[in-house]
Amino acid sequence: MPQAPRTVSIKTATPIWLLLVELRTPLVVLILVYAISVLGLVLIPGMDDQGQVWHVSFLHAFYIVSYTGSTIGFGEIPYPFTDAQRLWMLFVLYASVIAWLYALGSVLSVLSDPAFKQLQHHRRFVRRIQSLKVPFWIVCGYGGAGAELVRFLAEHGIRCVVIDGDQSRVDAARLSELPYEIDVAHGDAGQPQVLVDAGVTHPLCRGVLAMTDHDQINLTIATNTRILASRVPVYSRSEKDSTTRNLLSFDVEVVIDPYRIMAREMVQMITKPTAYALYQQLVDPTICEVPMPPKVPAGHWIVCSSGRCAETLVDAFRRAEIPFRLISPDPLRTGGVAGMVRGLGTEATTLREAAISEAAGVIAATPDDGDNLSIVLTAQAENPALFLVARRNRPTSEPVFAAGPFDLVLRMGRILAQEMYARIRSPLLHQFLVQLESMPEPLVQGLIHRLQGKRVNPEAQITHFSITLSANAAPGAFDWMAEQPLTLGQLLIDPDGSTLPALCLLVVRLTGDLVPFPGDGFVLATGDQCLIWGESTVESRLDWMLGRRDLLAEAQHRRAASA
Amino acid sequence: MNTQRVWFAFFIVFALTLNFGFFWGEIDNPNHHNPFEFFLALVVSLIATVLKIGDRSHIGAVLLATSLVADIQLILAAVMWGYSAQVIGEVSPATMASIVSLAGGAMLANVTSVILLLSETLQLKR
Repeated sequence: MPQAPRTVSIKTATPIWLLLVELRTPLVVLILVYAISVLGLVLIPGMDDQGQVWHVSFLHAFYIVSYTGSTIGFGEIPYPFTDAQRLWMLFVLYASVIAWLYALGSVLSVLSDPAFKQLQHHRRFVRRIQSLKVPFWIVCGYGGAGAELVRFLAEHGIRCVVIDGDQSRVDAARLSELPYEIDVAHGDAGQPQVLVDAGVTHPLCRGVLAMTDHDQINLTIATNTRILASRVPVYSRSEKDSTTRNLLSFDVEVVIDPYRIMAREMVQMITKPTAYALYQQLVDPTICEVPMPPKVPAGHWIVCSSGRCAETLVDAFRRAEIPFRLISPDPLRTGGVAGMVRGLGTEATTLREAAISEAAGVIAATPDDGDNLSIVLTAQAENPALFLVARRNRPTSEPVFAAGPFDLVLRMGRILAQEMYARIRSPLLHQFLVQLESMPEPLVQGLIHRLQGKRVNPEAQITHFSITLSANAAPGAFDWMAEQPLTLGQLLIDPDGSTLPALCLLVVRLTGDLVPFPGDGFVLATGDQCLIWGESTVESRLDWMLGRRDLLAEAQHRRAASA
Repeated sequence: MNTQRVWFAFFIVFALTLNFGFFWGEIDNPNHHNPFEFFLALVVSLIATVLKIGDRSHIGAVLLATSLVADIQLILAAVMWGYSAQVIGEVSPATMASIVSLAGGAMLANVTSVILLLSETLQLKR
C-alpha cells in the first residue's frame, strides 16, 4: 500500500498519547504492585470473629489495597487482621504509595515539560482556528507594524490571527488589550505548515499580511499562500525594489514599501499640507479630530539619512522639486547628490555645512533612534525655527519621541500599519487616497471647511465608512431609487430632517467610474458605492435610513417643512 | 536481541495462554475454572495493554484495540463474578457460564493479538 505523504504536522498528534507513552513504565509498576498485593491478601489466611480461618476474597482484597494505596486507610475490614496479614499489609502500604508517587511524579514531569505545553498550546490554537465562525486576517510578524495594525483593525471589529517566531512577541500579542481573545501561533511564518495551521485554507480567511522584518520571509509567505490558497489575497511588506518586482511578478495583491510611503508622505506634507492632514486622519483610526494642516516653513530641507531610506527620499524630493541638502555617511548607490555632506548629522559642523541657518526643516531619518534624537536636538540648538522631523525605528523608543520637541515623528511601523489598514478597511478608501494626491489644495481645504460647517457635536470623533446602494445592503434606498431619483443631499439627512454631519468623499459607480467630492445635487444610481466621512454617530443613523424607505420619505417631508 | 521486544511478545502470548487455561473446561462447572488463573489473566492482559501504548503504526493501533477489547471482556467477567460471589452469595452454573463465555470472547481478542504479532514478526527480514 503506497503511503500518502504526511501533510499533518507532528504538532497535531494527540498529547494524551505522548503522555501515555511516558507513563508506560509507571503504569506497569502500578499494575504489578496492585496485582501482587491483591494476590498476597487472597492467599494469606485470616481469622473471623469466631476464630475460624477466613480467606479474603478478591473483591475485598482489591478494596483493601485500593484504600490503602490511596492512603485513605479505612482500617482492618471486615475482621481485624492476623499478624501474617499485617506483615503483608506493611509491604502493600509502602509498595503502593511508592508506586503512586512514581506515577504521579511522571505525570507531573510530562505536564510541566515546556515542549509538551507548547504542543498543547499549538493544538488548542489549531482547533480554535478550525472552529472560527468569523472572517479573519492572518498577520505574519507581530513587530511594531503588526501590533499597530492588529489594534487598528480591532477597532473596527476585524479579527486577526498572529504568527510570530519570537516568544516574547508572542507573549506580547497574547497579553495585548484587544476586544477579542487573539489567536497567536509561535512559529516561522515562512513554513507552509505554520500558515496552514493558522488557517490560510480556512474558508473565512480574508487575506494574509506578510509583515515580517525580512523580505525573503515575506516573499516565501506570499508564494506559499499563492499555492496553498490561491483565492486568498496577500498584502506584503517589501523593503527592496527587487523584492517588490518579484512579488508583483506573481500578482501579489498589495505590495507596500514603507520607505516609499514615508517619502511620499514627506513630499505631501511639504507640498500639500492640507491633503497630508486629511490623508493622516483617514488612514489612522487613532486620529479622530478634523485634520489641522501642519505649518511648514519655506526653505530647503536637510535630510540626514543613509542607504535605501536616503535614496528613496532623495528620489521623491527631486521629482517634487523640493530643495534639499543630504547628509549621509556614504555616497548613494543611485548616483551622486549635489552638495552632499559626508557625516551623520549628529555634529553641528555637518549641519552648518548643509546651511542649517537658512533651512526650513531637518529630517532625521537614520536607522538608529539615538542618532535621530541627537540630530534633531543639535539642529534645534543651531536654528530654533526649524521644522523638526524624526524617524522612530523601534516602538520601544516611543516615550522619548512622544515627549520630544518634534513637529513630526515618522513611525516606521505605524506608516506600514496605516497603509495596510487603509487597504483592508475599504477598497474605496485607497481609491480616494490615490485621487487625493492629484487634488489641488484649495479643494481639499474647502472640503474640510464644509465638514466643519456641518458639525453638530464638536466633541464627536471623526471617522469614515463606506456604503453600497444595493438591494441587499440598502433596501430602503433601493426601493426609493426604483421610483424617483435620489440625490446625495437627500441621502445625507437625519430622520428628523436636519443635515447629517458628514460628507461624501468618493462615489464609485458600477461601471468603475470614480466621482471624487460629489456635491449635494449628485444623483445616485443603484450599485453606487459611497465613501462617507463625518462624525462617528452617522454610520448607524445612515444605516437605519438606508434600510427603510418610509424613514427616508419621512426625513424628506420634515426637511421640506423646516425649510 | 531486544529486551523490550521480548517482554512485549511475552505478555501478549502469556495473556492468551492464561486466558485459554481459564476458558478450557465445562462451561458452567466452577471446578474447571480457577479464580487465580482468571486474576492472572486479567493482570497480564492489563500489562500487555500498557506495553502496546505508543506504537504509532497502523498495526500498533489494531494491537492496542484488541487488547482493550480483551480488558473490557475480562473486567466485565470479574465484576460479574465478584457481584454474584459476594453480593448474591453464590455463583450459579448460569452465572459461571456467562463469566466463562465473556472470558472466551476475551480469548478471541487475544488470539487476534497474537496473530497480528506473528504476522508482523514474519514480515521482518532476517
